[in-house]
Formats: sequence, structure tokens, C-alpha cells
Amino acid sequence: MERNEEDEKIPISQRPEWSDVTPIPQDDGPNPVVPIAYKDDFTETMDYFRAVYFADERSPRSLHLTAEAIHKNAGNYTVWHFRRLILEALNADLHEELDFIEQVGSGNPKNYQIWHHRRWVAEKLGTDATSKELKFTEKILSLDAKNYHAWSHRQWVLQALGGWEDELDYCKQLLEEDVFNNSAWNQRYFVVTRSPFLGGLEAMRESEVKYTVEAITANPENESPWRYLRGLYKDDTQSWVNDPQVSSLCLKVLIAKENRKSVFALSTLLDLLCHGFEPSQEFIDAVDALKTPDLDLSDSNLATTICLILGRIDPLRENYWTWRKSKLPT
Amino acid sequence: MDSEGSSPPFFDREKHVVFLQMMNRLLPLDYQAQEINRLTLAYFAISGLHILGALDQAHPRNDTELNRQFFGFHGSRSSQFPRDDNGALIHNGSHLASTYCALAILKIIGYNFSCINSKSILTSMRNLQQSDGSFMPTHVGAEADLRFVFCAAAICSMLENWSGMDKEKAKEYILNCQSYDGGFGLIPGSESHAVSGTGGATYCAVASLQLMGFIEDDILSKSSSSSFINVQLLLDWSLQRQAADGGFQGRANKASDTCYAFWVGGVLRILGAYKFIDEKALRRFLLTCQSRYGGFSKFPGQLPDIYHSYYGFSAFSMLEEPGLIPICVELGIADIAAIGH
Repeated sequence: MERNEEDEKIPISQRPEWSDVTPIPQDDGPNPVVPIAYKDDFTETMDYFRAVYFADERSPRSLHLTAEAIHKNAGNYTVWHFRRLILEALNADLHEELDFIEQVGSGNPKNYQIWHHRRWVAEKLGTDATSKELKFTEKILSLDAKNYHAWSHRQWVLQALGGWEDELDYCKQLLEEDVFNNSAWNQRYFVVTRSPFLGGLEAMRESEVKYTVEAITANPENESPWRYLRGLYKDDTQSWVNDPQVSSLCLKVLIAKENRKSVFALSTLLDLLCHGFEPSQEFIDAVDALKTPDLDLSDSNLATTICLILGRIDPLRENYWTWRKSKLPT
Repeated sequence: MDSEGSSPPFFDREKHVVFLQMMNRLLPLDYQAQEINRLTLAYFAISGLHILGALDQAHPRNDTELNRQFFGFHGSRSSQFPRDDNGALIHNGSHLASTYCALAILKIIGYNFSCINSKSILTSMRNLQQSDGSFMPTHVGAEADLRFVFCAAAICSMLENWSGMDKEKAKEYILNCQSYDGGFGLIPGSESHAVSGTGGATYCAVASLQLMGFIEDDILSKSSSSSFINVQLLLDWSLQRQAADGGFQGRANKASDTCYAFWVGGVLRILGAYKFIDEKALRRFLLTCQSRYGGFSKFPGQLPDIYHSYYGFSAFSMLEEPGLIPICVELGIADIAAIGH
């Protein structure tokens, strides 16, 4: 359905096809709170919408009217709801509806109602819509690779309609474009844990750890892969503590002696220690090398030392590191 | 930020009051697209003025006029319809977020809650809870996620009646929303996030748990294994949201935004961990988002909007800014309103 902007400029009261309808005005009462400076055409469109909704007129002209109302305010869930009723009553072409949604959505990529409507249509079309939906979300994500709605919709499509085959590659591609994209890391986790083609988290752990270690080594200050790494051992902390790849990664980052980039390596090592990790002399030496003369390290063990160093190199969270130190077993 | 006519380096309470009064009187055309949520905008204006210690400067009498109820509240009169031929109000559908905002406003102005038809609100609400514990906001079909679990919990709390929801099921749903990184997503599987659209996912999760009574007072001192959510991971994730510029971000590796000072700050406050943030740095960041016209913007140097203004004021209340009144974080209204007049 093509949008005809010229038609939409003619006041509805002057359109012959609407002459039989009496619009229902909005009743704000005598002293409205937070009144909005509505434009006249907005008011008129909604007056006519109220009329057809009240009369439950599920006709082609009502459908056009909902489109006009949506163009003026894509957030009105009542209008969307009625549009869905009309689409069903008219047995409308839902592929065309996807085009309509794309057109409306291009200016409103973060509107809940639009995405919900898209999902409703896709659900009705079933697997006929799979590739279209994956392409659509890919398009939105190419403009904003972190659009939460696009990711949620994409996850829903994968779970409801399938299309998992190329998803891990898609994540890889996005991470190549921006390894700091937390959404892409999250999606990777989603695929690794839920794809019916990959065997689940434990089966994937080995290869994923390798991938993540590489990413961290290249950018140790990147929070996302550190969280992802921990996530790979979800519900299995002991494996995380015992896996030499994890601890040696921390060691490697610390040895590079770049304070600004060592925060996550230090906090990870701290967490490992709190869960029973037994450090070799290498770890003690590496942390030692990060000490500054102003730190009072009498009576300090490795964990305490780490807390003190973190208090210095991560000053925003100084109070937190002090508290962590106080919580360490004596 | 330009030096010519920029905002002063202190919290400009007077200007903020003027900003809200203007919004309260007439919202600019730009808000047309949010008109279905006018009740939410009213909540921002009224609760905002209350937090700023200027409630007397809101419309006194007329707030209750907007709060008509039909088993719940609408967002706006644009979705209200006259009775049909049988005298029924069948075209009117309430919305959980609107109901929450309406009750919050009524709490703020000290309305007598015994006059409210709690039973019908709660019965209607019970029917909105899904089998997985989540809530849909309306009966006519919409997305179901954590935002509405929060609205439901807040409604029950304000009505002092939990018959409107199955708390255990809601708790289970919340649990399923905790991400591998410790934060919460709006739905199970999604990226953990402090905010999305109108609500903070992690805030919604933690505030709901707090309201439902599932967060112990000294949760930080308990060992991590005793809690049903991973508190240590949540704490670590939340604290990491304070970025180098002092502001809070909604997700890892994203820009700091005014409103997260409330969404994430609120989570930390509920957990008893607000003392771990760098308050000075946060204040500095927030002041760069303060507009010289009053109000706050999302990012430094932009124009203010009512949503970011409200959460900016809430954040300053948590920072104990003089002249502002304390807030009940988990309800999103002033403490004194939550306790009752």
C-alpha cells in the first residue's frame, strides 16, 4: 500500500468518501493536565478514527485511516489494535503489510508498537517470513548495530521461525566491524546456547573460549568479552576457576603492564582467588609489578594487594574495591 | 558545551521548576507522538515538581479529573470512548503503565485510596499475567515483558493488596531474565540492559523483587550462593555502568545518558551499594546535561525533554541535593508519598 501524501493533506471532512461519518471529538474536560499542542490535522484524524473504532467499521477506508493515524502518531496502541482487526477481517495481504511497517518503522526504529505489530504479522505468515525478517533486522542493525528492538525481534524470529544456520557467522561479522558491540556478544551467547545446530554451551565452550581469549588479548579494556568469557562457564564456576586458559589470560594481560587496560584482568583474577584459585609465583610477581609506592601493602596477600591496586587504577569504584577487600576471608 | 549562556555549575532548582510548570501547562507539539501516554507525562510533571519541593505549583484540583477509572486507567482521553447503545464502556481498554502512573499521581497528591475500586483493578490485572509470570500491559494484545511486571508490582504495593499477581511466578520470570553478565534483559535471552524505552530492565527486575519482598535487607553481606539471583554478578555489572565521564551507561560500551543515573543508581540503592559509586563524578556529568532552560537532556549539550528531566531530578534526589525531597526508589515517587500522608 503506497502512502499518498497528497491525499493525506486534504482534510477528511472535505473528502467525499467520508461524508457519511460523524467524527467523535476528544473530551479533555475543562481543565486538562499536561495538554498537548495538537496540530489540527492530528485532531481531525483521531476524531474520525474514534468514529470508525466505536462503530467497529472494519473496512478498507478504515484501514487507510489507521495508516494516516499511525503516520501522525505511531505510538497509539488502540489504533494498531484496530488495524490488526481490520487486516484480519479483510484477509489483507500481509506481505504488503510488512512493507507498510518497514516504511513507518524507518523513522521510528525504537517504537514498541511498530515492532509488536511486525511480530504479529510475521507470526501469521510463519516460516514464509523468516528470511524477510532476518533481512529486515539486518538492515536496521546496519544503521544502528545496537538497536535493542531489532535484536529482540531477531531473537524471536530465530526461536519461532528458525534461520539459525548463518547466525554465528553474522555475529562474527558484526564483531569484526566493532568488537566493542555488546549486543553482538550477547547475540553470540544466544546462538551458542540455543541454536539447535550447535550442540549447546558445553559443546561449544572450547572453541568459544579460544575466540574470546583472542578478542580480549587484542583489547583487554573491552568489558564485553570478559563478561562473555565468564558466561561461557555459567552454572559451572569450578570449571571457570580450574581452566588454565582463563587464569593464564589474566596473567598475560597483567604482564603487559598497561594499567589502564588491566582492570578486568585484575578483577577477574580477584574473583578466581575468591573461588579458590591457587596462584603460582608468576601471578604474584605480575601483580607485584603493578604496585605503586604509595600503597600500604603490609599484611597483604595477593587478593588484598589486587584490591588496593584496583582502588588506584579504577578510582571511580574505589569504595567498592575497599569493600571487596573488607570481605576477603582473613 | 558553549560558554555563552551555558547552564550554571550547580543544580538549578528554580529553572527546573519553571521548566516543569511550562510542561504542565502545555506540552509542545513534539510530544504529539507520545500523546497516548499523557498520563505518564503528567506523572513526570507532577512527581517531578514534588521531588523539587514545588508540588504546590502543580495544578491543584484538576489532577483527579484525568484519573477516571474503568478497571484501570487509560493513558489519555484520546483512547476513551462514549458508552455504546447498551451503556457499556467496551471500547475502553486500560493500560498497566497508565494505571501505575495514575496511582502514583494520586499517592503524591494525597488522594484517599479507600475511594479507589481496588478490587476491579486487581482482578483485571490478574488476567494480564501470562503463564510464564510476565505481564501484558493491555487486554487487547501487546508485548509482555519486565516493564509491566514492575508496573504490576508497584500497583499492588500502592494498593497494599497482592491479589493482583502471582508473586512466585513473577519472581521466576524475573530470574529467567538475568543475563550471563549479571544484568537483566527485558525478556529472557535478551541483552542485559538498564533501560529500554520507558523502563529500565534491570531496574524493573530489582525494584519488582524489592516491592515483592524478595530482597533481604543485608543482601550484600550474604554469600552469593544463598540468593536466587546472582547478586555478586549483578553488583559488579551495575557498578561497571559508571563510565569514565562519571555518568551511567545503559549497557557496556555505550554512551552515558542522564536517565541511567536513576535506573542503575536505583538498582545500587536498593542493593545497599549506592555508597560504592563516585558521587562527585556523577554530579559533574549530570550537570553537563543540565539545560540552561531548565530540565535535563539525554546527552551533554542537547535540548531537554521531560523524561530525562524527571530522571535527572530523581538522580539528584538520590545524591541528596539540598532542597530536593528523598525518593522511594522502588516506587518511583517521593518517600513521603509512598508512606502516605
